[in-house]
Amino acid sequence: MAVAASAAHGHATHNPVRFNRLGLWLFFFSESILFGLLLTTRFFLEGIEREHVDQHLGLAITIILLLSSLTAFTAETAIEHNNQRVANWFLMATIVLGIIFAAGVGFEWKTAEFSRHEAFGSVFFTMTGIHAAHVVSGIGILFLVWIQLKRGKFNSKNHWPVSGSVMYWHFVDVVWVFFYPALYLVK
Amino acid sequence: MHIKHLIPAAVLWVIITAVGELLVIANLYPTVGSLEADDFDWIFRFLLAIGVPVFAFVIAAIVYSMYAFRSAKGDEMGSTIRGNGWFPRIWLIVTGGLAAFVMVFPGLTGLQKLQSDRTAYGWGDTEADVVIHATGAQFNWTFTFADGTEVNIIKGKELVLPVHQKVRFNIDSVDVVHSLWIPAFRMKIDAIPGRTTYMTVEPTVKGSYAEDQSFRVQCAELCGLDHSVMNFPIRVVEKPEFDQWLASLKTGAK
Amino acid sequence: MYAAKSVSGGIGLGLIGFYLGLGFIALLRWTLGYPEPWGGEINIIGGYIFGLIGWLMGVGMWGIWGREWFGQRTYPRKAPGWQRYFTFNTDHKVIGVQYTVTFIIVFLLAGALAMMMRLELANSGMQFLSHAQYNGTMSLHGTLMIAVAVAAVIGGIGNYAIPLLIGAEDMAFPRLNALTFWLVPPVAVALLSTPFLGGMETGWTAYPPLSVTTNSAQIMFDLGIITFGLTSILGGLNFLVTIMFMRAPGLSWGRLPIFVWAIFATSWIALLYTQGFAVALLLIALDRVAGMAFFNSTAGGDPLLYQHVFWFYSHPAVYIMVLPGFGMALEIIAHFSRKPLFAYRYAVGAFLGILGLSGVVWAHHMFTAGIPNYLHGPFLVATELISVPTGLVFLSALGTIWMGKLWLKTPMLFALAVIFNFGCGGVTGIFLADVPTDIHLQDTYFVVAHFHYTIVGGEIFGLFAGIYYYFPKITGRMYNETLGKLQFWWMFIAFNVTFFTMHLPGVQGMNRRIADYQSGLDTVNLIVSLSGLFLGASFILFVYNMINSWIRGPLAGDNPWQVRTLEWQVSSPPPLENFPTPPVVQGHPYDYGVPGSVHGVFPGQKLGGVPVVGGGGGQ
Repeated sequence: MAVAASAAHGHATHNPVRFNRLGLWLFFFSESILFGLLLTTRFFLEGIEREHVDQHLGLAITIILLLSSLTAFTAETAIEHNNQRVANWFLMATIVLGIIFAAGVGFEWKTAEFSRHEAFGSVFFTMTGIHAAHVVSGIGILFLVWIQLKRGKFNSKNHWPVSGSVMYWHFVDVVWVFFYPALYLVK
Repeated sequence: MHIKHLIPAAVLWVIITAVGELLVIANLYPTVGSLEADDFDWIFRFLLAIGVPVFAFVIAAIVYSMYAFRSAKGDEMGSTIRGNGWFPRIWLIVTGGLAAFVMVFPGLTGLQKLQSDRTAYGWGDTEADVVIHATGAQFNWTFTFADGTEVNIIKGKELVLPVHQKVRFNIDSVDVVHSLWIPAFRMKIDAIPGRTTYMTVEPTVKGSYAEDQSFRVQCAELCGLDHSVMNFPIRVVEKPEFDQWLASLKTGAK
Repeated sequence: MYAAKSVSGGIGLGLIGFYLGLGFIALLRWTLGYPEPWGGEINIIGGYIFGLIGWLMGVGMWGIWGREWFGQRTYPRKAPGWQRYFTFNTDHKVIGVQYTVTFIIVFLLAGALAMMMRLELANSGMQFLSHAQYNGTMSLHGTLMIAVAVAAVIGGIGNYAIPLLIGAEDMAFPRLNALTFWLVPPVAVALLSTPFLGGMETGWTAYPPLSVTTNSAQIMFDLGIITFGLTSILGGLNFLVTIMFMRAPGLSWGRLPIFVWAIFATSWIALLYTQGFAVALLLIALDRVAGMAFFNSTAGGDPLLYQHVFWFYSHPAVYIMVLPGFGMALEIIAHFSRKPLFAYRYAVGAFLGILGLSGVVWAHHMFTAGIPNYLHGPFLVATELISVPTGLVFLSALGTIWMGKLWLKTPMLFALAVIFNFGCGGVTGIFLADVPTDIHLQDTYFVVAHFHYTIVGGEIFGLFAGIYYYFPKITGRMYNETLGKLQFWWMFIAFNVTFFTMHLPGVQGMNRRIADYQSGLDTVNLIVSLSGLFLGASFILFVYNMINSWIRGPLAGDNPWQVRTLEWQVSSPPPLENFPTPPVVQGHPYDYGVPGSVHGVFPGQKLGGVPVVGGGGGQ
């Protein structure tokens, strides 16, 4: 939400990127509580019990998501150095990896051996679902940014939308770093 | 300069406190029907006795200031005390001390009593003389005695308890969250689906719903449409009479 | 007509979005091979979300913000005069007024529901409502009033005053600010639709499993409140960035007006904890719509999970409600006592202390809920600890009026009443924090009386103090002082009679949220009802005074209260972007009577060659 804010008013002393960055961080704090409560829910209801999940698939999508953070980081670094071509390619790679991750979650859902009508299933589908919703919204934001990047709107001086959306992408990734062990590795 | 104002303000405080403390003496409570009710009334009065001077202090300070320090036009300046010196520290110590005091006594001591195994009431694992399984359902209570006798709105129509006996309620619910509350006993615990909660009471006086409305089981957690009428009469009697009543229900069933 | 274009655009696109959403979900279900395309509540959820987006875009967000996401040029919608209140306006002063007026209307509506409840409860037996109607009325009253309490002071007075108080030209994210307001009307629509879906029967706390099995009014409540939580989070975020980054030069943290500190602490609570309510209601919605088992004990769920998550937000929420009330009261008390705010640092410490403790006390709402025995002690201790920082607020307030020169105008009376009422609410809180007394008082009218003393007494009185205080600044006109004072005394006395008496039936065995009670409690309930109706009537006076004074009141001048803070140094009403020349702060805002002290100066502004000095304090 804070990604596209502006403080372009008469008093020119304010630095809008500084505002946006703090706003985004605050938004992450708030979201952390959301994800933290979902984690709490998982352990409150199920303790450290776990149903059978597809370990290979879980590991694969985790690696893909971590890789996508790397490509996102590269894209941001590239635009900071005014290298639009590299930024363009790596942002697109991030989007593609994100789509693969989302598809992986979808496949996991389809092949899951447990039902959503019981506690573990509820927890699993809700946690992966809320996270996937963030991934999908991240893909959407990255896509909008990518279009403008392609049109050459960003350079080393003006690239907040790239930085902001990449920050968001990293955040979603970090959340998965907590969710993955809680859903796949516990016990 | 302060003294001139402090004395009348203090007098006002004392007067308001004195009037307020009448609340401590007043009998605001329903029938004392159990050991816990005795303790509740005592603790309530104790907290009232401490709380009234606190509230009276606020009232006295505001009322006195509104009278003595009023200014008709707002063009005069007040004194420039900022309160950075010793006074806030004293205040912090006094309020902190009061809070700590109330926290320990009657807070934690009362809680300890409530949860102890040796006390005759509360949430400890007390050996009980009578064990009743209470089940909440929208919008009725069912009570099952150890021997399998059931009491509900159709059968028995009232819950009879023996006086001076430890009665333990094991409580659960078949649908939504209810709460089993007996005002005369000042005890309450929720009925949660999927869990069994419990509480122990020891009735100390005889009484019945017909004469005293605080002898009733009342649902105290919003449970839907007829929540307000989800109550059940209680009658507390001597032990022999209780046994007789229980037996009569049994014969009635056969 | 910009206003008509905006509102009709919003409603039109909102409706289109709603039906598109219904259809979209139906299509989705059909594609996925469900037997019925119409799945009931799932379609409503889709409709609501699409409708919400349509409404926001239609009301002006598209042109001013949405186009930017697609790399197109944005254009502001400039509406003249009163019409700006009906558009997606980014001026914080407009948004503050939008919030205040909206929530006063909601307050009056929810108050009318309270009148219906008191009429029904005037005597035992059922008078004119059915059980279902009573439960619906009670739930709607609770929910709407919670919304008012959460958003009226911080959204209304806070939005209006914070940028002015810190010498900023607007909030940090003006468009986000407009968004937080325009999310509110859909919330109102969602909540007000509940009576037509059978009426809520769970109260605002919505405990499962009842809230999972009850009628579809619940899903509208869920959607409305999750949206409302979003406005709360985004609003808090906006305030935090504004207060951290947009203070005027020289306005250090130690010179910040106390109301700004209150909003700062409140914003943290809103930002962090509001997610709890969203999660709790999300899980309920999933249980309802997707048949999940979070609260279904037969499938491994646990109803107590909800209570933990819910109260993890909803206890901090009472500080979202009360801290702005405290801040408003202390602010007004200092100015109208013509005296530095007593123990300023301790008052700030109090707000931060409450912020710190607010997150570790939630289970005191669950003392009788069958939580494990070892949880009672820590939560009892943490809860009673909160009385220490709260006590510091009293220290500050009472120390400030002591030896002051109290100018007893209407805002000051309301501010003093905040301290008075919260004195009572704070003391009765001790009874509820102590488990041995709470075990009887939990879920009785004692609790109802307690939280009305803290929330209405502590915050709504603060809201009225703020409205009267800023009325001349907002409108440029002065309200009628006699009517204002009359309303104060009327409201104050009726409020205290109603709610002080209400403690008694609680102790005597009247539980809350009931349509009917035992006949032994008739007399005391009749007193409460009569006094409550009297209380309700006092707001007619308020509405009359406000409307009449806004149209015909005498001009107020820039600084009718002779106050030192920055907002009173500009014209009434302030111009767009607030300060024609940016202020520089040189001293404490409350140094009344300190020789030579100034708060804000306007270096660029010259009158006869001399820099204009703000504040009338220092002789």
